[in-house]
Amino acid sequence: MGFASSDEVVTYIGGIFKDAFADPEIGPKLTATGQVFRFVFTDPEATVCVDAPTQSVGDGTGQPPPAATMRMAAEVGNAYWQGKVNLPMAMAKGQITVQGNVASLLKLAPLGKRLFPVYIARLHDTGRADLLL
Amino acid sequence: MTSSAARAPDRPSPPPPLNVTSLSFWGQTADEREDTFRLLRADAPVSWQPPMEGALMPPQQEGLWVVTRHEHVLEASRRPEVYCSSQGWQFEEVPEDILEAASSIIGMDNPRHQKLRRLVSSAFTPRQVTRLIEQIQHQARQVVDRLLDAKCGDFVDLVAKPLPMWTVNELMGLDDNLREEATALADGMVSYNDPAVAAGREAGQVLNDSLVGLLTLGLDLAAHRRRHPAADLMTNLVQAEVDGQKLTDEEIASFFVLLTVAGNDTSRNATSHAVRALQDHPDQRRTLTQDFPGRIDAAVEEILRWSSPVMTVRRTATRDTTLGGQHIRAGDWVALMYPSANRDERVFTHPERFDLTRTPNPHVSFGGGGPHYCLGAFIARAQLRAILNELLHRAPTLEVDTPEYLVSNFVHGIKHMPCHIT
Ligand code: HEM
Repeated sequence: MGFASSDEVVTYIGGIFKDAFADPEIGPKLTATGQVFRFVFTDPEATVCVDAPTQSVGDGTGQPPPAATMRMAAEVGNAYWQGKVNLPMAMAKGQITVQGNVASLLKLAPLGKRLFPVYIARLHDTGRADLLL
Repeated sequence: MTSSAARAPDRPSPPPPLNVTSLSFWGQTADEREDTFRLLRADAPVSWQPPMEGALMPPQQEGLWVVTRHEHVLEASRRPEVYCSSQGWQFEEVPEDILEAASSIIGMDNPRHQKLRRLVSSAFTPRQVTRLIEQIQHQARQVVDRLLDAKCGDFVDLVAKPLPMWTVNELMGLDDNLREEATALADGMVSYNDPAVAAGREAGQVLNDSLVGLLTLGLDLAAHRRRHPAADLMTNLVQAEVDGQKLTDEEIASFFVLLTVAGNDTSRNATSHAVRALQDHPDQRRTLTQDFPGRIDAAVEEILRWSSPVMTVRRTATRDTTLGGQHIRAGDWVALMYPSANRDERVFTHPERFDLTRTPNPHVSFGGGGPHYCLGAFIARAQLRAILNELLHRAPTLEVDTPEYLVSNFVHGIKHMPCHIT
C-alpha cells in the first residue's frame, strides 16, 4: 500500500495533470485558469508543480512561482485525487496546509472534480488498484 | 451559455431591469430591491435568470429560477421530495467542498436530515427551553446594562451582536474566551461578498479561512467534550447515535459551523432592523409600549416580516415539474426570495406598512415551512422579545443613526449603526 518512491508520486499525481492537459474538454479549461499550483508531498517526499499557461508539469525548478502551494502526506494526496478528502476539513485537521491564494484553488474545484475519474482510471490501468480507496 | 439558456422557449427570462442575479442588485437598498421584486411578482413570478454573479468560482449553471411570490415559496419549501436541499442551498454557486463542510442538516434530505434534526431538537425539552429563555432574558438585561453605561457607540457591537453570540455559544458549550473568535469567523462566512469586509482579500479566501477556523473550533470542542462531558449540545452530539452509529467528527464540526452561522448574524440583524424600524415608525412604537405584554408577540412577527434577515435560499429540482406555470426540469436550481414573498400583496394587506398589530402574519422569514423550517425560531423570537423589553423600558431615549448595510445576496445585514442615549 502507498507510493513506494518519490518518482511514483510524481508519475501518478503529476500524471493526473498530464492527462488533464491532453483532455480536449478539461485541458483548455485548466489552461484558462492561468495559474501555477504546487503540491509538496511528504512520505515519500515529492514536489509536483503545474504551470497551467504553458501546460507543463514539473518539480518546480525553472517554473514560475505558484499562486498556491498545497502541502500534504502523499497518502492524503492519493485520497484527495480520488475525491475522498474535503479541503477545508483537511485544513482544519492539519492534514493539508495551503500557502498562498486558497481562493484560486477553490476556483479550480469544479475542474478538480472532473480529474478524479481520470486518476482512478490511471490507477486501474497501471495495475495500482492497491491505491484505490 | 446564459444567452442560449435564455432563448430556450420554455425558459422565459424577464427583461434585464428585472434581473436579480447581479452583484449590483444586492448592493441596493431593500426598498430598491422591492421595486424590482414587485414587478417580478406581478409579471414573472417564477423567472429564469442568469446564474447569480459570484466571486467564488466560475458559474457551472446556465441559469436558475427565481421565485418571488409567497405561494410559490411555500410550495417549493413544502415539497422537499421535488425541491431538494442536498445539492446545495445557496443562491450563489459555492465550491462543493465548502458546501459539504459548512452545511450539515441545512444541506441534507431525508432520511438523514430528519434523523439528525430530531437528534438536535430532542435536546430542546420543555424544561431546557424554559431555562434557555430565562437565560436569554437575563443576558438581555446585562447587555442593556452595558449600553446604559456606555451611553453611545455602535449599536451592533454594543447590543445586537452580544446576545445571539452568547446564546448560541452557551447552547453549544463553547468556552467564554473563544466566543468572540467564533463570532468573527461566523461573520466571515456570510460577509465575503462585501468589499469592505474582504479588505483586499479574495472572497474565496475570506470564506475558506472563516470556515477552516470554525471547523477547527468545532473539532476541538468535540474532542474536549468526549473527555469532559457537560450539559450542552456538543456533549449530546458526541454521545448520540444515529442508526447505531456515532456521528463522525466531521459531521459534528459541520453542525457546529451551521449553528454558529445560523444563530449569530440572523438574530443580530433582526435586532438592529427592529430598533431602526421602531424609530422610523414612532406611532407603531407607541402602540407597542402602550401594551407591551399584549402586543409583543405580534410585533416580533412583523419585525421578522419587515426585516427578512435571511433573504435567499435555494433548492434543486429532483424531477421535471411545474411551478407558477413554468416548466422546471430535473436538476434546475430554484432560488426563493423571502423578502419578496414577505411583501406579496396577494397575501399581506398594505405590505409596505410596518404594522405591529398585523394578524395573521404568515411571513416566511424562518422559511416557507417544510422540513428545513428554522430550528432556532423559538430562540430568535425569545431574543427579540427580551431585548425589546429591555430597550423600550430601560433605554427609552435610545436613538440610532443611519445603518451601514452589508453587501450580500444571502443575509440582510447591518454592519454598524451608531447609537446614543440622551
Ligand atoms: C431572526 C433570526 C433567524 C432567522 C431569520 C432565521 C432564518 C432561517 C431560515 C430562512 C432557515 C432555512 C429555512 C429553509 O431552508 O426552509 C433557517 C434554518 C436554520 N436555522 Fe435559523 N434563523 C434565525 C435564527 C436562528 C437561530 C438563533 C438559530 C440557532 C440557535 C438558528 C438555527 C437554524 C438551523 C440549525 C437551521 C437549519 C434547519 C434545517 O435545515 O433543518 N436560526 N433559519
